[in-house]
Amino acid sequence: MDQPLNQPRRTPGPEESAPAAAESGARVVHAVGVTKEYHGAGTGTVGVAALRGVDLTVGAGEWVAIAGPSGCGKSTLLNVLAGIDAPTEGAVRLLGRDLAALTDAARARLRLLQVGFVFQRFHLLPVLTARENVELPMAEAGLGRQERRRRSRELLDFVGLGDRSTHRPSQLSGGEQQRVAIARALANQPAVVFADEPTGELDQRTGAQILDLFERLNSTDTTLVTVTHDPEVAARAARIVEMSDGVIVSDTLRLP
Amino acid sequence: MIVALSLRTLVRRRSRTILALAGIAVSAALLLDMTMLASGLTTSFAELTRAQGYPYRVTPEGTLPFDSEAGIRDAGEVRAAIQGVPGIRAVAPVLGAQLYLGSGASSGEPIFTTGIDPAAQMLYLLVDGGEPRAGEVVVSEPLAEAYQLQVGDSIELAPELDVALGRPRGIQEFRVSGIGEFLYDYAGQRSLAISLAQLQRMTGRPDEISLFAVAPEAGVDEEALSERIAASTAGISVYSTRELMAAMDQRLLYFRQLSTILGTIALAVAALLVGTIVTIGVRERFGEIATLRAIGISGRRLQLGIVVEGVALTTAGCLLGIPIGLWMAGRLDRILLAFPGIPSRVSFFVLDPLALALAMSMVILVGALVGIVPGAQALRAPLGRTLREEAD
Repeated sequence: MDQPLNQPRRTPGPEESAPAAAESGARVVHAVGVTKEYHGAGTGTVGVAALRGVDLTVGAGEWVAIAGPSGCGKSTLLNVLAGIDAPTEGAVRLLGRDLAALTDAARARLRLLQVGFVFQRFHLLPVLTARENVELPMAEAGLGRQERRRRSRELLDFVGLGDRSTHRPSQLSGGEQQRVAIARALANQPAVVFADEPTGELDQRTGAQILDLFERLNSTDTTLVTVTHDPEVAARAARIVEMSDGVIVSDTLRLP
Repeated sequence: MIVALSLRTLVRRRSRTILALAGIAVSAALLLDMTMLASGLTTSFAELTRAQGYPYRVTPEGTLPFDSEAGIRDAGEVRAAIQGVPGIRAVAPVLGAQLYLGSGASSGEPIFTTGIDPAAQMLYLLVDGGEPRAGEVVVSEPLAEAYQLQVGDSIELAPELDVALGRPRGIQEFRVSGIGEFLYDYAGQRSLAISLAQLQRMTGRPDEISLFAVAPEAGVDEEALSERIAASTAGISVYSTRELMAAMDQRLLYFRQLSTILGTIALAVAALLVGTIVTIGVRERFGEIATLRAIGISGRRLQLGIVVEGVALTTAGCLLGIPIGLWMAGRLDRILLAFPGIPSRVSFFVLDPLALALAMSMVILVGALVGIVPGAQALRAPLGRTLREEAD
């Protein structure tokens, strides 16, 4: 398979603090003073702060797990880092681009070409086959049909579903659907993959297979940012960012 | 691929799509019929007027053809004057009158009769026999069928009816010289034609006619010739086919208004149907659309996909609606033409390819437009929140 990310991966030493390790490598994500408040029905005029002054840097080739209990703001942080949500305050640079300075269309283009997403509920398009789901981002990126076919075949082989390419999502198990979603996330060889509770809908054994896949992916220098509330899942990542009540309470590296 | 995705989404919601298509097809059919009705009778009548190569009508001043009992006097002189206008190929005089059957069980039955010049006439096409000479008549097919008349048979006609006795007066015997298809007759109308001079004598209207039909030479300017004919003699009105159509349009304003109102309603119903279907479809797929936005599909492309759904629905609906509309037009035409006084050769519903294209384009355009609003709503929805709601 083609390398989704070309930057050399650097594994931080045991003596390094996590932020220092990220600072020393190429920055994929760099968030400073990020605050996110929600105003809307049920909140009255007072905003609900989902994030409160979060600073986070993710270096190239890292696998960072953002962990914490439900409602601590980890999914909100993921969305802000990926340019899906705009922060109320603070700044986010993704792959060197200031997200606030980009138009909606430019942010969408950045996500299409350089960012992969894996969702908790897979979010595959039910009317498309596995292969077509994987090919969709490539088609939108302008890849020719033959190149799409070749690459989707490679990606489905990578996730172990080469023989299920013509199946619709409804004909696949949850684990298989998530693997297709991972293949889709890798379609345009992204520099970074964001995954929101990627094993949340799966049983333990299937979840472990997905995490194995992430591990293989990370070993090819693809940067991963995953959100999970499950400490066991978080433990598979090289770096764990713990959140509570909208702030980062710890940021630690797992020693190899 | 976005277009294929939209089309497959329609197929996936099969029952709903079929129902929507049925509704759109009926609306498109109704719109098509109203488009055909709006100008159908006028167009059809114009074709009939031109059919025999006599596109002009010369009538007593201020009247439309057969619109009053008035006639043009000194018809011979007027005919000669018109015939002398440059660009005229033929002048066909027509006198309309009523004769009565003179014998048999139907004695006294009024028969619409036209006096014509057999050398220049545009009222009928002979299907059997020949043109009438003195003492001869050409009968319409319904009249021939009703009385089992054949070429060579005799028929008794009278110019007057004794109202008190209910009997015809002044009965004369005629020989049937031919059987004709009378172009301006309504369905089943019993009528006949005899020579102009004979009818003038019978009705006591010497040298009077109801109208002239005028045939131009090829390539003559229609409006200029109309003006030249009008200037050739006093006391007449001249109508080119275009002017007749305009006059007819004026009289058929009711049809235009009716067809405009019904057509607008049909279009509105189609818009509501497509709008509802597309809106429901988009609402159901807010999460799916949010996912596509999240993975980087541009809003413009997603909007295109939604618009394609509306366009696909309306296009398919129109394709189904055209044969339905044509079938409905045929049925309605038969009903409307059963009304007396309307020539059976005209049609209330005439298919004009340009009007058809315009009507169907409007439906398809409506399909495209109604996708814009729900599409914009889906694209304006906060992405993060929509994804969260989808995950909950």
